[in-house]
Formats: sequence, C-alpha cells, structure tokens
Amino acid sequence: MNKVAIVGTGQTKFSKDERDVEKLLFESASNCIQSVNNYDSNDIDGVLVSTNNNSKYLGAILSETLGIRPKISHSIEHLCSSGTNAIISAYAYISSGLSDMVLVSGVESATNPGQVLEWDRSRGNLEHPIYWGSMLTKSHKRKFQTTEEELAIVSAKNHKHAMDNPFAYSNEPRTISEVMNSKQITDDLRILDCSRSCSGSSSILLASEEKAKIFSDQPIEITGIGQKTTSASFTKNILGEIESTRIAADLAYKMAKIEAKQIDVAEVHDAFSVCELMAISELGLTSNEKSGEFVRDLFNTENRMINPRGGLIGAGHPLGATGISQTIEITNQLQGKSDKRQISNAKIGLIHNMSAAGTSSSIMVLKN
Amino acid sequence: MTFFEDQLKEGVFQICYCKNCNDTIWPPKEICHKCHNRTDWKKSTNLGKIMEFSKRESTYFGLIEIDDGIRVLGDILSSSIPEIGQSVRMSVSFNSKPHYSFLVENN
Repeated sequence: MNKVAIVGTGQTKFSKDERDVEKLLFESASNCIQSVNNYDSNDIDGVLVSTNNNSKYLGAILSETLGIRPKISHSIEHLCSSGTNAIISAYAYISSGLSDMVLVSGVESATNPGQVLEWDRSRGNLEHPIYWGSMLTKSHKRKFQTTEEELAIVSAKNHKHAMDNPFAYSNEPRTISEVMNSKQITDDLRILDCSRSCSGSSSILLASEEKAKIFSDQPIEITGIGQKTTSASFTKNILGEIESTRIAADLAYKMAKIEAKQIDVAEVHDAFSVCELMAISELGLTSNEKSGEFVRDLFNTENRMINPRGGLIGAGHPLGATGISQTIEITNQLQGKSDKRQISNAKIGLIHNMSAAGTSSSIMVLKN
Repeated sequence: MTFFEDQLKEGVFQICYCKNCNDTIWPPKEICHKCHNRTDWKKSTNLGKIMEFSKRESTYFGLIEIDDGIRVLGDILSSSIPEIGQSVRMSVSFNSKPHYSFLVENN
C-alpha cells in the first residue's frame, strides 16, 4: 500500500448567507490549488466532492471549472461526516495505486437537506437533531453528574477559539454566563450549546508519498484511519455512549501504532456541547465522569488542545465541508502554521467526525 | 404509503417480526435481514417505559421503549415531572410523518 499525505489546503469563510454550491466549491478548491508548489492540473487524477446538497454531478462540474480531466470523479454523502468519508475514499484510491493525487472538496449551503434523516421512523415527528441532542445531554447529566456549567464551558471555549479562526462563522466571544443564559431550546439544550448549519466549503489535496514532496515542503501523512457505523436509527444508540467512536478510535490507534495519550491536538465533533464531552471520553483522552473537569481545565489554562479552530459550535457546521475543515486544522497545526491557534510542538493530531447522533464515526490520525 | 404508515393512520402501531428467526424487525421491513424470508405483523400492546425525557416549551418528550425492545421518540403527556422507568401508554397517528405520544399511566 502506498503511503498518503496531505499536500494542500483551501477554505472559504463559513457564513449564514445562502450561497451557490458550485461557486463555493470553486473558491475553496482554487485556494487549495494555490497552496501547493509546482501545480499542474494534469497531475490531479481524482476529484471527489462531499456534500448533502441535491445538486448533481458536482465532481465533474468542479473538475471542468478547474480545467481538470480526472480518471476518478464522483460525490460522497454520509450526512455530517461526509467530509472525512471523502478524504478516506481518496486515501483508498491513492494507497491502492488507482490514483496518485486526489482533490477532495466539501461544500454545503446554509439550508441543506442533511439536517433531518427522514428515513428514521423511530424519531416520529421529533426528527430535528435538538431532540436527540437533548436525550444525550440529559442522560450525560444523569449518569455522570455533568453540570450545566461544564456544558457551557465547552461552548465558551470553542467560541473563544473561533475568534482566532478567520474562516469561522462566529467571531464573537461568548462567556460561560452568556452561554448559560442563552435561549433555552429545550430544558437540556441552550441555543449556544448547538452547532449551527451554515454555508461554506473546504478543499484538501492528497498525494502518494512519492509525489507529495513535489507539491509540498511539509507533507502531512495520514497514519491511522478507523471507521464504524452501528446503525442509522438514533434510537438504537445506547444512551450515554458513542459506541461507533470508541470502536473507530481503537482501529485508528492500532493502524497508527499510537495510544490516546500521545495525541497533541484533536478536532472533535461537537454537534452539541455534550458531544465534545462524550467524544473525548470515547477517544480515551479522559473518562465520562472527568470529561467536564478535563474541559474546564483546558479552558482555565487556555490550552487549545481540543477544537483549536473552534469546533462545530464556534466555526459553524456546513455538513459536507466540516470533516475537511477539521482535517485542514490538524494539518496546519502539525505544519506549525496555525498562528494564534498554534499548539506548541504538535507532532500527532486526530480528527473525529460523526453522523446522525453518533451512529457512525470516522477518525483519522495525522503525523508530521 | 407503507402498511406500517397506513396502520399508524388508523391509530395502530404494528410490530414487524420474523416468524422464522423469532426476531423483531425495527424499523419495519418486508424482508427479514437475517433469513430474508417475508416478515409478519402483530399489534403492539401500546405499553412502554420511559428511558429518558426532556421538555420543550410546555411539552415533555422522550425516548420510550415499547414491546420487544422497540425504542421511539415521542411526546410524553404528564401533569407532573416524568420519571425514568415510568409506565406509559402509547397512541399513534400519521400525517406525512409518524407521531407517537405517550400518556403516563396513573397520571
């Protein structure tokens, strides 16, 4: 199997504005192409688009607008983790030798059909994610004595990080008390505990190890991948757990030959505040009981180890682009290019992206 | 509309199961995912227990487990704060999407 590295990255600003997906895709892909050395459109032999948008043939459309005639071109949809699924597909094409260099571009418009899974009849008419978000939050409070303040710290921390992310949808600081006093959506969710759907695009270029040095002075290798889908229905989840994340993390650590304690920086899927607490526990960085304390300590010491770009809560959640933006952040961190957000001496980074209440998780480990 | 949805419209929650495997199939499917034989139907007892709950505006809602381990999200009708494990009685309807609601017993 060929080794695979990230050689280029590009993003658009995330925003609440309704924007045309084809234009957004072109913008982030163009930024990505401009970030690499010695670019030649003939070198890209794969173009993958991740999105929940219903527009057709986006892989071919993006290829044509960029003047690329790839061997492989198609779209990938897997709800909120479409982005990492597309990157992992690109990895598989390159590692198998079917492709040498793949452009992966994720995109979403602010109003997109990926927010509701109509197939899941077990949700009845309570199909919006706030209902499962409330169940997970209430259950975490009940089982692990998690406090309202600990949940608010996740959001305050991630909003604070997002202030230094020029691509984030929110650049507003939010204090713990502002989060705690923000509008109650349900008894267990405040508006500032929720990530918000928005428009945006992000792109990444992957290449085989052999080609990577031509295009980047600092290629970042993908050393571990773990994925697991446990169901599609939210109601098949065990409350208080994200089983898919635990299994995917184990697979990713084994492949990368690392342990959780070696991770220097991680982007985790904070769809709601409680998801960050659950994710860091399932990833083995702490326990469920201590997850609130863990995040409080990060906040108090201004340690940006978890969600340095602001996570989904701070940066926004354009579904198809999210996993790619998470991967770009970890890439930049390992390249030492994260400016104010930089974690000093970061060597190993992790991306955690999930779908539909954690029924599916995708995890990648990157090394510099 | 599927048989399941049609029956919800009549106020009946039909449980899909496989006679061959003695397994409940949820969400309902015409074919068993294990043996691939045609599945069968039986009416729910409409009795369940509260697994978790929260409240939106003035309405409680929650995750309820009914017959054979089937779990659904629905509204909980209760004059007092619900409790985990509390017994509930389900009523159902269908209007472009399923609607499950649960009355707390001895409320």
